Amino acid sequence: MSRPRASPRERPQGFDLDRLANSCCARLSTAYSQRGMIAAPTPVPVLAVDAEAEAVVTVWVRVPAELAHDYQPGQYWMCWNPYDSTGDMDQPHHHSEKPYSVGDIRLDQTGVDTATAADTGGSGTALLGFTIKDLGKQSGELTRIQVGDWLGLRGPFGTTFPPLRSGERLILVSGGIGSTPLHMAARDVRMKHGERVTIDAVMGFQNKAEAHFIDRMEGVCDSLTVTTDDGSLGTQGFPTNVLPDLLDGCDVASTLLFTCGPEPMMRPVLQMARDAGIRGYAAMERYLPCSIAMCGLCMVGDRLTCTEGPVMEGEWLLDQPDFGHAHAH
Amino acid sequence: MANLRVSLPGLEMSNPLMLASGIQGGNAAALHRVAATACGGLVSKSIGPEPREMYPGPVCVEAADSVILNAMGLPNPGADVFAELLRTETFSKPMLVSIFGGDAEEYALVAQKLVDSGAGSLELNLSCPHAKPGSRALIIGQQPELILEVVSAVRDAVDVPLYAKLSPNTTSIVDDATAAFKGGADGLSLINTISALEVDPHVGRPVIGNLLCGMSGPAVRPVAQRKVAEISLAMLRGELPDAPIIGIGGITTALDVARFIQLGASAVQIGSALIWEDAAVFDRIHDELAEFMEVQGYADLDAMKGIALDSLEGLS
Repeated sequence: MSRPRASPRERPQGFDLDRLANSCCARLSTAYSQRGMIAAPTPVPVLAVDAEAEAVVTVWVRVPAELAHDYQPGQYWMCWNPYDSTGDMDQPHHHSEKPYSVGDIRLDQTGVDTATAADTGGSGTALLGFTIKDLGKQSGELTRIQVGDWLGLRGPFGTTFPPLRSGERLILVSGGIGSTPLHMAARDVRMKHGERVTIDAVMGFQNKAEAHFIDRMEGVCDSLTVTTDDGSLGTQGFPTNVLPDLLDGCDVASTLLFTCGPEPMMRPVLQMARDAGIRGYAAMERYLPCSIAMCGLCMVGDRLTCTEGPVMEGEWLLDQPDFGHAHAH
Repeated sequence: MANLRVSLPGLEMSNPLMLASGIQGGNAAALHRVAATACGGLVSKSIGPEPREMYPGPVCVEAADSVILNAMGLPNPGADVFAELLRTETFSKPMLVSIFGGDAEEYALVAQKLVDSGAGSLELNLSCPHAKPGSRALIIGQQPELILEVVSAVRDAVDVPLYAKLSPNTTSIVDDATAAFKGGADGLSLINTISALEVDPHVGRPVIGNLLCGMSGPAVRPVAQRKVAEISLAMLRGELPDAPIIGIGGITTALDVARFIQLGASAVQIGSALIWEDAAVFDRIHDELAEFMEVQGYADLDAMKGIALDSLEGLS
């Protein structure tokens, strides 16, 4: 049988990507309302890819506004890359589906081409940005994704951070790509409470080349301390080196700490919070093959990270012997 | 209160609701988590001779209403690690340990290791690819001669009760059951998933990472019920030995449980329903079943076992 190949990068001249994005956006809305997160992934075309740092990109896709509006920081989406960067769909370990956190949302903007916005649903859509770091085969391929490529989506899955009250203080401690849910948490708290909350953030990176989201965090936080392992940016050391200064003398009853990053960093961070009498929460990053409580491979203690996480209470996590070790991606 | 107890070879259970193989049951923490619910018994993930990784995702999706597709790829920690788990852990519910292998010898080896470490009963997952040269079947469970070979080898290797898990993807499930009993099976579990395939029309390729997949969920329940009925009727006709059947396929309510039992099943396994309700589904179905039996006036499960077969007996 003679047949064309399903190559994603070969589209006819004059192909209307914007129209395709809107058609997929409508399909995503149906999947979201009818089957929710259990649905098969809905492919949407990538509309823009922003370089954030070395091997860190934000991949922008158009989604229904309600879906962006309902997103709660900490929740994740399963992102399916149906081919690797050569456009080859036959490499089984390049195409796969993995969990990613939303790094940024642009509301009230319909897409890359504002001229067509009026025709395509106006404020009914938003742009969702998945910020991805190359940490392995699947994430590596995603960082090389191009405008027009497919990204299959299903979600959002999992738990969110607890709400803050006006007058409270939030301390955020991220390591590496753990920046993404904490940026969304800071943004959310700032949008809800304005200046009636204080947000102090610590961002740890390996080095200056990996550093990202600094402008975004400065835009929503009252203070930001950057650390790098090698001292190439900010303070040399780990977030745990500078955290005591933030914890020192704070009003423990009205302070919360959220952390996201490698478990060997989060464990001492949560321990320091507990020692200071502060409620801490961690957004966990584990191998989540199914995301729907089927496979049982993401257990922390007696809980499933996929549905009972990824945001978990620090008090509980610190009691789990299997929390705090490095995990493969 | 109706008596929900079930007594099967190797399985003394407080009720007929078992966790189906492949769902959560590959490690101690996950098995304890399910055992803490009102379920009557556990079935482990299928354990093979060596550790195996999960296939690339998506590994499990709902393709249409009540249609669950999966291809996990028999991920498991391997017989040695699971044997250690059996030696060191005590579970609050009886466990049927599911096993697989590439050929009869591997099945026997895995069975031996797990029984030596305390497995009290085994379920033979026959829906896996085989290494038999020249066979036209894709999986062991599609060829009665291979079923006979595998069950016989395990029967020779161990003394515990054996349940053969049959595939629906065959011409005659009664022929498959005949081979399983000839090999020495003590009971049957059915059905495994139905061969399936889903395509994403935007991307132009199959959705599931492994490309091919198996279908489960509420949509397969009537297919499973018919297979269970075919086995039960063959037993009534004396074509198969009278032995316990564990019904599997799309159960989400106590009424579904009653349907399988009224078609001759002694117990049931529940898997896909955990996607919607997680392990708490066992608590709900347990309470629903107790209530159903109470209002229907069934003192125990035997009081309704096989009653729906009466009107089917004339069929061949």
